[in-house]
Amino acid sequence: MALVSLRHDPLRVDELIAATAGPDHGGIAVFIGTTRRDADRTEVVALEYEAYEELALAELEAVAAEAEALGARVAISHRLGRVAVGEASIAIVAAAAHRPAAFAACRLAIDEAKRRAPIWKRTVHADGTAVWRDGVSAPVS
Amino acid sequence: MVTGMPDDIDVTVMLFASLKEAAGTDRLQIRVPAATPVGAVWAHLPEPIRSTAPPTALRYALNDRWIAPGTPMSGGDRVALILPVSGG
Repeated sequence: MALVSLRHDPLRVDELIAATAGPDHGGIAVFIGTTRRDADRTEVVALEYEAYEELALAELEAVAAEAEALGARVAISHRLGRVAVGEASIAIVAAAAHRPAAFAACRLAIDEAKRRAPIWKRTVHADGTAVWRDGVSAPVS
Repeated sequence: MVTGMPDDIDVTVMLFASLKEAAGTDRLQIRVPAATPVGAVWAHLPEPIRSTAPPTALRYALNDRWIAPGTPMSGGDRVALILPVSGG
């Protein structure tokens, strides 16, 4: 069973590593997605995430299982609520016997998690405005 | 007491992101004829949402599972309207 979580407090990469690493693993790949101080319009000070939690967890579990089929042990943790610039919104850990499987599983997991999990963010700007990235108010990326 | 047609059903509509913001709530109760397809839910959303065309990329979940828009609903179902996602 893959390790998947949604949490409202800061992500703990050390816990994900401890939960996935084992004596048969020779490599651990870690991806951490963070809030970027994007300034296309006005400076971004935070992202705020919300999820359809039941389906998001199911979808992240399916993604983690697909990544584990590449030969790694995988954990995915996504933060919800306000995530300030520089803080982590998602952490993926993939532990495997050798680095190719660890990198491949980590890459698949982040790409598919972003594409499939019903989670949305809105950008909060320095001028106090906020915009949902859901294809209606603004593009998703 | 409000009564509908004998074969009307009550379903819950779950809203997220800008849809939630526009509706002012994350849950709506609506009454529709039995077997109404999930794709018809948009017309039951509050104004001004329903006067706009549904986003072409809109997807649906029924009771926490992805579902095609033509799937008929039953009483007590929970339908989620899923806009393009932006997690990560």
